[in-house]
Amino acid sequence: MPSLLSPKERGAALEAFATTRTGREKPSQYWKIDLETLVPNASADGAAGTVTIENASPRAIAVDLQTATREHAALLNRAFRRVVEARHKFAHLALANASLGAFIYIPADCALDEPIVVRYRAADDEAIFPYTVVLAERGARATIIERLELGGRALACGVAEIVTEANADVTYASAQFAPPDARVLFTRVARPGRDARVAWASAELGASLSVTDLGITIEEPGVDAKIATLFFPTGAQHVDIVSSVDHRIGDATSETLVKSAASGRGQGRYLGNIRIAAHAQHSDASLRDDALLLSKTAHIDSIPALEISANDVKAYHGATVGALDDDSIFYMTSRGIDREAAERMIALGFFEPAIDRFPTESLRDELRAALQAKVTA
Amino acid sequence: MADQGLRVSGLRVSVEGNEILKGIDLTVESGRVHALMGPNGSGKSTLAFSLAGHPHYDVTAGSATLDGTDLLALSPDKRARAGLFLSFQYPAAIPGVKVPNFLYAARQAVRPGELTPAKFRALLLEKMDVLGMDPSFLGRYLNDGFSGGEKKRLEMLQLAVLAPKYAILDETDSGLDVDALQDVGDTINALRASEEGKTSGFLIITHYPRILQHITPDVVHVMIDGRIVKTGGPDLAQRIEREGYDTLREETGALA
Repeated sequence: MPSLLSPKERGAALEAFATTRTGREKPSQYWKIDLETLVPNASADGAAGTVTIENASPRAIAVDLQTATREHAALLNRAFRRVVEARHKFAHLALANASLGAFIYIPADCALDEPIVVRYRAADDEAIFPYTVVLAERGARATIIERLELGGRALACGVAEIVTEANADVTYASAQFAPPDARVLFTRVARPGRDARVAWASAELGASLSVTDLGITIEEPGVDAKIATLFFPTGAQHVDIVSSVDHRIGDATSETLVKSAASGRGQGRYLGNIRIAAHAQHSDASLRDDALLLSKTAHIDSIPALEISANDVKAYHGATVGALDDDSIFYMTSRGIDREAAERMIALGFFEPAIDRFPTESLRDELRAALQAKVTA
Repeated sequence: MADQGLRVSGLRVSVEGNEILKGIDLTVESGRVHALMGPNGSGKSTLAFSLAGHPHYDVTAGSATLDGTDLLALSPDKRARAGLFLSFQYPAAIPGVKVPNFLYAARQAVRPGELTPAKFRALLLEKMDVLGMDPSFLGRYLNDGFSGGEKKRLEMLQLAVLAPKYAILDETDSGLDVDALQDVGDTINALRASEEGKTSGFLIITHYPRILQHITPDVVHVMIDGRIVKTGGPDLAQRIEREGYDTLREETGALA
């Protein structure tokens, strides 16, 4: 598969990857990986990985990125590279190697009830750089589910980019259960149109290292922006999540929901950015972030970063970090449920509000099963 | 049998080094309703939590047995499986755990293998109907966002569904809502009339005698300052209604 970038562009992207800082904390006693100097030792040979697209409606375009470049270049260019920003370090790397990917175009007023599934696969030791581009026109509605099927020691460094026109409604869910020695680095960014709704739902349950940047840039009024993420590092897993909602114009709503747990020596880091520009009056932003620590050697650093420059806004932030609640455990055990089962039920219940944000009952059940396995591990 | 009943003997309990219960002797008999009354702070709720096995309460002396089983040696879940139930005044809210899933897990734990999920659901709906609970309760998370009255009803639903051998109802300063009191009374009366619950024994803990208008106790115990100072019939509750606790306090020489 040919690269989507010219050799010159590719060189510039690699240079940008090398020089861009993530701004994330340095390694500490607990967190072992320096993201600034992380150079995934994998180079694209242009043939790695496969993509399959399921439930592609004939009313929409859902094709691999190579086909899109050849046959739908004008449409693709309305969204491709339109939202990623220079600060997205790992997006530069994904872009430099972009050849695998998918393009989904939903024309005006086309409402797709069945979720489109984009499935990326990498063999053992393979590095893939999947790039998913979504363009939803005026009044279009679609749900996209991205799945990663990685082999042992595989690396996936990808981007998902969503551009919508007015009144569109796009839900994009990703859930990864990668093998414990795989690494996953994703940048997921969206720019909704006026009165449009965009929802990210991401679950990071596998991989030794999972780094995700979730963003929604609000440049039109009436936007309803939603981010939900759940993660659960166990064993020696490291999960780093940054969410960014950028209210650049007023009269828009955003809601960020984060549910995380950690056990074993699992390490989690979450940075929740909410920015409300000075002229973005009547913005309504909420950030809810709860972390559950299930072992003494597990850590989750959770940092909300609210930067509010407007004076007539609603901004809510709530966060908790803690162990399972003793009174909750006592209540359940006083009904005959043994302690282990009670802890499992409470921990799974803790994730339920985030699980609710994922489309399809089968995906939600898959998440519950994976979380249950982690709780009992 | 001699060891029948929920028998508490010489029970002393401390919380963070302060002795709250100073030697409690009390037996709740099978098939009977006992009321435990007393002023605020007398230790009534401490007795309830200690018997259910709350880890914050240190039992320093005495014994508690349920039909001969040593409760104090058991973890809270095993006490429940032995047949003990505690209705909480302030039950924990547990988001994400749906009411029917929790109730089924509890029923299976207490009475293993008796009911299929389908039969359980039918039982649940029947008991909910008796309590006037809307079926939408089944879609809600355990006590999450429940009003005081809704929490009380859910506790009563659990009592009805689990049909324990002995139930302790901690109504210390709740039940000010007449409907909630009625629910408690109705649940106990319905349980006593059922096959599963006809031998159940009850210990209703209350500060105000008002709940006893809805359910007539066979035995009334009065606790003051961590001790049972008087035990009598229903007339004792009426006397407290008229006179309050002060005359009893003086009469029995209990400390203020």
